[in-house]
Amino acid sequence: MQRRYRTIPDLKINESACTISISDAALACKLTAMGVLPGTRIEMVRTSPFGNAYYIKVDGVRIALREEEAASILLEI
Amino acid sequence: MMQQEEDRTPRVALVGNPNSGKSTVFNLLTGLRQQTGNFPGVTVEIKKGRMRFPSGKEATLIDFPGTYSLYPTSSDEKLVAAVMCDPQNPFFPDALIYIADVTHLERHLLLLTQLLDLHLPVILALNMSDTALEMGIKVNTAKLIERLGIPVISISGRKEDNIQKLLSEVEKTLKNPIRTAENVFFYKLSDGEKQIADAVRHNLGIDNPYRALLLVHHRDWLPFLQPQQREILGTIAETKDFQSLRAQVDETLDRFDRFVPIVRDAIQQPPVFPSTATDRIDAVLTHRWWGPFIFVAVMLLIFQAIFDWSGYPMDAIENGFGILSDGVQSTLGEGWFTELLTDGILAGLSGILVFVPQIALLFLLIAILEEVGYMARVVFMFDKTMRRFGMNGRSVISLISGSACAVPAIMSSRTIGNWQERLITVMVTPFISCSARIPVYLVLIGLAVPAVKVAGILSAQTLVFGSMYALGVVAALLSGWAMKKWLRTREPSFLAIELPEYRMPHWKNVWLSVWEKVVAFVSGAGKIILVVSIVLWALSRYGPGDSIALATEQAHTEAIAMRLDSNQTEDFVQQRRLEASFAGKMGKSFEPLIRPLGYDWKIGIALLTSFAAREVFTGTLAVLYNMGSEEGDINNRDENEAKATLRSKMKTETFSDTGKPVYSLATAMSLLVFYALAMQCFSTLAVVRRETGGWKWAALQFFAMSLLAYFGAWAVYEIFS
Ligand SMILES: Nc1nc2c(ncn2[C@@H]2O[C@H](COP(=O)(O)OP(=O)(O)OP(=O)(O)O)[C@@H](O)[C@H]2O)c(=O)[nH]1
Repeated sequence: MQRRYRTIPDLKINESACTISISDAALACKLTAMGVLPGTRIEMVRTSPFGNAYYIKVDGVRIALREEEAASILLEI
Repeated sequence: MMQQEEDRTPRVALVGNPNSGKSTVFNLLTGLRQQTGNFPGVTVEIKKGRMRFPSGKEATLIDFPGTYSLYPTSSDEKLVAAVMCDPQNPFFPDALIYIADVTHLERHLLLLTQLLDLHLPVILALNMSDTALEMGIKVNTAKLIERLGIPVISISGRKEDNIQKLLSEVEKTLKNPIRTAENVFFYKLSDGEKQIADAVRHNLGIDNPYRALLLVHHRDWLPFLQPQQREILGTIAETKDFQSLRAQVDETLDRFDRFVPIVRDAIQQPPVFPSTATDRIDAVLTHRWWGPFIFVAVMLLIFQAIFDWSGYPMDAIENGFGILSDGVQSTLGEGWFTELLTDGILAGLSGILVFVPQIALLFLLIAILEEVGYMARVVFMFDKTMRRFGMNGRSVISLISGSACAVPAIMSSRTIGNWQERLITVMVTPFISCSARIPVYLVLIGLAVPAVKVAGILSAQTLVFGSMYALGVVAALLSGWAMKKWLRTREPSFLAIELPEYRMPHWKNVWLSVWEKVVAFVSGAGKIILVVSIVLWALSRYGPGDSIALATEQAHTEAIAMRLDSNQTEDFVQQRRLEASFAGKMGKSFEPLIRPLGYDWKIGIALLTSFAAREVFTGTLAVLYNMGSEEGDINNRDENEAKATLRSKMKTETFSDTGKPVYSLATAMSLLVFYALAMQCFSTLAVVRRETGGWKWAALQFFAMSLLAYFGAWAVYEIFS
């Protein structure tokens, strides 16, 4: 079945998309408190040198996320 | 609600999100009137300082760790929730200053609205107004005052703008606290939450519904709850089918929905965030290849700087103490009291202060990296690497700091949210070669490793020195890996870290941070070194019964028989006295245990005395090899010359039974490995105990590291002999 969302690892460098929701509850707490809210636009800036972490931008704020964390943010297609 | 005793100094709390400039404002308001209260023996964990109002009255300012909300994910952040939920807490504030970064106000007000719902008197300080001005951001403070119902002031921590106004506003609030009215709340509890808050009020008498709700959320860890209270809260949560995480997210979203419009209404922002210098710098500094490469280069540069620069002040300190010690000797004359002063107290003080330049320099460079925002990038780049070894990207900062002194390094692990990752960081940080190991390395390497070049360029001595650092790093990572295999928790672990804008360092912050770390070292590690030094002096001067007197007498007779001159006699007598002293007896009884590592009883004494603080090692050997009588005191001369004398004395040592030299390459290498791996720092153990909440982990760390050092040294001795 085709997924109805993408996640950050699906984004190309410099691509951006709007968030729908965050699937992991504990992480959702942390990220929403940091201002990653449903509907905000996330821009993928780069991956970390050894992989497994993402450098993203949300409303001009730069945030580093792990792969699992990045994968639990569901984005619009 | 709140008890306002007349005679106590009012408490003001400084709260806000990470990177909002809280520490800058704290430093500005308190200057050097700070107390970290962070070190062994003191159980307080919060930074406090005194602030003075224009009227001359004073208040205690408490700096809380930066946090995004009252739903914490690290022990650092838990502190904020634990204090704000507990009016009985000794840190519970009479007024709060909430620092928000005005250039990102839309995401900096969540915690503020939570604090308002606890009906605490808050003043909102909009920080970084200088940057806002540059960016063309216009703030309508009057509108914020009206909509939030609290005092709002634009300030700049960096330009020191409006600080007086902030102070007088705080004083006004202390006199006449403005609280949100009893029945006004920013967040409207859902029906389910209302029932829960009601139940808590009935059972525990908590009137504020939001506080009641927080108690239910945090019932498992809030330190002030009684067991039966925990049970009651648990039952309430269960019967109402309370889903804490869900509720937290819903509440957070609801709060954002309510305050973002207020912010948008009051702030005029340029429509897009322009690509800034930070983006361009990060394109290089966090680049796939350049990033790690630059990191390694920066680290090498730092260590190079330390070795090149800190030699001069260190020599000056040692020479200064030498002169002082001579002065004491010549004014007081000989006697036990003079010896106590010179060999015990002054030697100990010199042993502490001599490390200060190096520690200060290292922490200066670390503080600069932190201030400009580079450390967060390091966390980002090495998170994965560190996770392999059971740690977290944030652990890199602790490990780097560990190369100066493990005591402040371990304390910096508090930002790691996951308990297991934090524990592993605390446990392995002491493996990193700290500045106290350097003199030991230098003496031993000078003794055993020939000054030749390897492959024509690198000196063999430098190579061995570097390998000792590498050994520490490898030992730290491998033990982290082993602990990860052994411990398994399902507690969530987060990276989720904000990468702040690059900024020029604010020097006031940098100096204060260095000052704080140096004070941590002097008051934490220093006290113990001093005590050890005095105990050591006593142990080597006195012996059981009249053994010393007997040994002296006998030595004199033998010396006459051997026709020694007066200097040689003095040496000989000194040595015999030492052998007869408590320290000598202990070393001798210790010898069988350390013989497999290639050590004799004198090294045994040095090991024993350096158990509590490893820097005592060289000092002990200097006493044992009795360097005093020939050319004056060790402190008295140029450092290199003194070390050379120590070395030549050590070189001529032989085992009394076999006649073989004690300091072969094998012994020296074995000692090096021992010192690289052993846990020989009582102050570190004390900090570990405090940070892990008991002796269990400190004891484990001590035994594991000692065993590793013992067997490692044994193996190395076998290989080289
Ligand atoms: N331009 C400008 N920069 C500021 C101001 N106040 C602080 N800064 C800088 O912002 C950065 C973060 O400041 P800190 O005081 O360390 O922030 P903090 O809130 O204590 O951060 P945490 O320690 O992470 O909680 C530093 O580089 C400061 O120099 C200000 O008013 N204007």
